Amino acid sequence: MKRKRFLTTIIALIMLTTMLAGCSGNNNSGTNTGGDTSGKKEKVELKVWLTPQWKGVLDASESGADYDSFMKYAAEKFTKQYDKYDVKVNVEVIAGDQRDQLLNVNLSSSTPPDVFFESVFAMGDYVHRGAMVPLTDIVDEAAKSDIAQSYWDAVTFGDDVYFYPFQHNPGTLVYNADMLKAAGLEKYIGGENDIQTWTLAEYEEILEGLKNNLPKDKYSNAYPMALYAMNTQGDTWNLAYMRMFGNTFFDEEGNVVLDDANGVKAASWLKKIKDAGYTNPGPESVSSNDVNGMFQNQQLAISFTNPVLFNNIKADMASGKTNKFDIRLANVPSESGDPLSFTYVVGASVFQSNDEKRVEVAKEFVKFFSSDPELVKSSKNSIPVRSSVVEEFKNDNPLFAAYDANSQYLFNFTGNVPGYSQLREVLYPELQALYIGSKTAEQAVKDYQEKGNNVIQSNKASSIIYQK
Amino acid sequence: MKLRNQSIKESLTGYLFISPQMLIFLVFLVYPIFEGIRLSLYQINYTSEKFVGLDNYVTLFNDPIFFKALLNTVVFVVFIVVLTVGFALFVSSAVFDKNAKYVSFIRGSYYVPVMVSMVVMSMVWSFLLNPANGLISYFSQEMNLGTVNLLGKTTTVLPVIIFVTFATNVGQAIILYIAAMVGVPKDLFEAAEVDGANRWHVITKILIPSVSSTTIYIAIINIIAVLKIFVVIQLLTGGGPNNASVTLMYYLYNNAFKYNQLGVASAVGVIMFLITLLLSVPQLRALIKDM
Repeated sequence: MKRKRFLTTIIALIMLTTMLAGCSGNNNSGTNTGGDTSGKKEKVELKVWLTPQWKGVLDASESGADYDSFMKYAAEKFTKQYDKYDVKVNVEVIAGDQRDQLLNVNLSSSTPPDVFFESVFAMGDYVHRGAMVPLTDIVDEAAKSDIAQSYWDAVTFGDDVYFYPFQHNPGTLVYNADMLKAAGLEKYIGGENDIQTWTLAEYEEILEGLKNNLPKDKYSNAYPMALYAMNTQGDTWNLAYMRMFGNTFFDEEGNVVLDDANGVKAASWLKKIKDAGYTNPGPESVSSNDVNGMFQNQQLAISFTNPVLFNNIKADMASGKTNKFDIRLANVPSESGDPLSFTYVVGASVFQSNDEKRVEVAKEFVKFFSSDPELVKSSKNSIPVRSSVVEEFKNDNPLFAAYDANSQYLFNFTGNVPGYSQLREVLYPELQALYIGSKTAEQAVKDYQEKGNNVIQSNKASSIIYQK
Repeated sequence: MKLRNQSIKESLTGYLFISPQMLIFLVFLVYPIFEGIRLSLYQINYTSEKFVGLDNYVTLFNDPIFFKALLNTVVFVVFIVVLTVGFALFVSSAVFDKNAKYVSFIRGSYYVPVMVSMVVMSMVWSFLLNPANGLISYFSQEMNLGTVNLLGKTTTVLPVIIFVTFATNVGQAIILYIAAMVGVPKDLFEAAEVDGANRWHVITKILIPSVSSTTIYIAIINIIAVLKIFVVIQLLTGGGPNNASVTLMYYLYNNAFKYNQLGVASAVGVIMFLITLLLSVPQLRALIKDM
């Protein structure tokens, strides 16, 4: 019996040792950075992620244009001219609403992408958590003089630049001018290349006119305005609505201060227009993707957009993917009459892979496509951050001037607070509670403020920028 | 002595045969359990781990959403398991003795949703249930009944998810029940017929007791499956409205992959493991007793 036990123990130990040996194997090899002794160049493989930004290399109307076209083209151009290593770039498009989940999983298992091209606002947390490497050393004087300081400010955390600014995406409303005409609201339609500014009273009149006067035979099952709160996607417009009555949202210390009369008024207004039937039904279980689709199907008269989405809709119309109709831009209105304007700075960042060569090549790649004279022209798909590109394309794109005029009304929607990604997660359940009537406007903003400030405080405690 | 050596030799062969399976079991099932327990006692960052004792559990027990998730999970488990067992018993006992082609048709029909990915099923349901542009809402508006938002009401969201999950999973239980019922000795039914028993008596006095071990098995696998319910929540409701449909698994996912609270997520995992263990042990004992 004893022998039997002894044998069992030996076998168990052998298995345990094998298991431990398997677990403790060197896992620093990352994504194929093996050396080569044959005299050939050493291989370095990069993993590049991006969220859907724009289709095509230079234009969405190119044949076979897709979200990864630009990055694949940039990678090909980079590998051809780069002579230090034999580089292979794997490009992957990630859905915006899966970004944090995918990044957290990959960071936890030490397999983050090497380069991520995305809006800075969504990525700032990874800087605070120490997951990214500074890019200050790849920014030269030429870039500094071509890109305005405000964009550098947006990508600087502490003393270092962490994102190489490429373009920016100002957020606005988009409206179906044909629907406004059909509802007898011609006087509110702006110029083709304008960003129309309505007062809040005018906006309410438009919503009422669309609800009551839109011909049902032409636009059956259509609603005046998009409203959504299923998840974090497109939540910046919700944040803009919360500022409609003058609430500043953050105080000087970076705490949420929505719990005042103006914040409550804004939440009450959202509930009021939802209950009056001015929005798509059930915003509590509708996502921004849903309303975007509804707008393209002419089921919504007013929705949300940014230059990239706007251009993609126009390209889909031109290619016959969707029916053609007249789309134009408008600002998010406010009680004061000044429009509410915000922008997303978009650029590339490099994750810390703890592999010197990969970090080095990733930085070189970011510098290459963010400054190559041919490649930076693609930033015209949105609004370029480089004044040289704006200058080159301003005659082709008259909206550049309209966006520029709007810039005086910009508000900083992130407040640069640490934990912003997590802060986004606590907003939509409160909006849902507001819309389904389980919380009053007062209670919803109060609870959001309390939960939001807890998030900010706990993230400040672990931020490498705050704890430096 | 010779006998003992022979016995060891025989055992050794057995151990060698099961060792690859044991290795996989230890690495992929046992090790994660212990690692999960360890992680639940740490605060984890990308660069460091800090021992915090039971702080993660304290955080959990101070979060009302955790208790909501716990309650929702219990509701899901009870209703889905009862519905699955009840409906599968009903369908199987109604068809098990009919002609083979008919039984195959019924089995196939109910099994189709089991084969389809839960993601696809959720997308189909989302297409039907979306309040803004879903089919149900569209027809309701066409009939002047207003919009229908079953996923946006705290009173209807749970029943809808229970129904969707039940409809997708019930095929498996029906297959198992029909197989078990076909195997019940025919002489029992003949004796019942001689005694003048009606179909109700046959089902309640012979059929259901005869397949009790299958019932226990179906209950166990369904409890474990429902405890892990996630995809349908993620795709249909996102835990909403206002956390009304959040489950323990979804709560764990949010903490691990959205909030980056790996310690808290591991604590949820440990609690789920304990609940599963507690629910399964008595049933497993009953199963073993019957065998």
